[in-house]
Amino acid sequence: MAGLPPVPSPGVVGKKPARRCAEVCLELLCAESVRLFHDKQSGPAAAAALEAVGYRVGQQLAERYTRDKPRLGDTLEIIKFVCKDFWQALFKKQVDNLKTNHRGVYVLQDNGFRWLQRLSPPGPGADPGREEAARQLALSYLHLPAGIVRGALCHLGVTCTVEADPKQMPSCTFTIRIMA
Amino acid sequence: MGIACVAFIGPQNNPMYLRSIDPASDDLYMKLHYVIHCSLDAVEEKVMLKRGPGDSQDAYLGLLYPTEDYKVYGYLTNTHIKIILLLDDEGPVKDEAVMRVFRRLHGLYVDTASNPFHKFGLPLSSPRFDGAVDGIVAIYRGAGASQGGFMT
Repeated sequence: MAGLPPVPSPGVVGKKPARRCAEVCLELLCAESVRLFHDKQSGPAAAAALEAVGYRVGQQLAERYTRDKPRLGDTLEIIKFVCKDFWQALFKKQVDNLKTNHRGVYVLQDNGFRWLQRLSPPGPGADPGREEAARQLALSYLHLPAGIVRGALCHLGVTCTVEADPKQMPSCTFTIRIMA
Repeated sequence: MGIACVAFIGPQNNPMYLRSIDPASDDLYMKLHYVIHCSLDAVEEKVMLKRGPGDSQDAYLGLLYPTEDYKVYGYLTNTHIKIILLLDDEGPVKDEAVMRVFRRLHGLYVDTASNPFHKFGLPLSSPRFDGAVDGIVAIYRGAGASQGGFMT
């Protein structure tokens, strides 16, 4: 269980165990931030605001997670870093699939996106209206992580736009378009 | 003896922090600015050179170039922040000790950037940051480069 502090091993005397935080806190914070921004502002403005928050967080996380890494060379290495180490640190798994058209568009696919796990997908055979509503809801949860990815990439020197798309919940794709 | 000056330069070659450890006159500050400015070219050169296969792609760039008064050491982070140290050591300088100072400065910068009130791109002006830089510099002087003994 993520919330319980680890029992210190008997050999280590007087050393305080590292402080941990339950993962549910992050989930609740994300859900509440989405609700808060959508209550205060209408659709696109709320999305932009959440993306801006994510952008800032992404910049700070990029500083922290690239700290002891060897120098990242070209754009592909930076994207691979985001897919592996950055995703692992942030979402506890790596990106499942990376596709590129070699012309500046990269598609990252995550088959079990952690921050969408708590949203129930529409049942099989649900009518298109419900599916669309579920998709819109999932999209509102994806602005923040899209912003984080964009902030990290821009801070590492890759100017781009990031678009999230919840295809089959909880799987979703992030499309990165490099700006020349 | 030891570290004369610490500088942080941002990704657009904008100076974010420049601090002379000993109190300095305006003239000395101009000179330090000039030396740091020249060192940015040396940083780019070193990065170009290191692109060859088999070279260590490390953040630490080593001695960039010696001037008459100082030795200039450089460090480039993945987020294109450059940390420049000016040493006025006369004797031989241990790379290990300088690398440790850079790592600590990098850690300090990461912690400072994680502050929610931090603004990227603007100069760093915080007494706490100054104090922490003083602490790191003092350890370098205290332990002595020749002994090279302190934990990262």
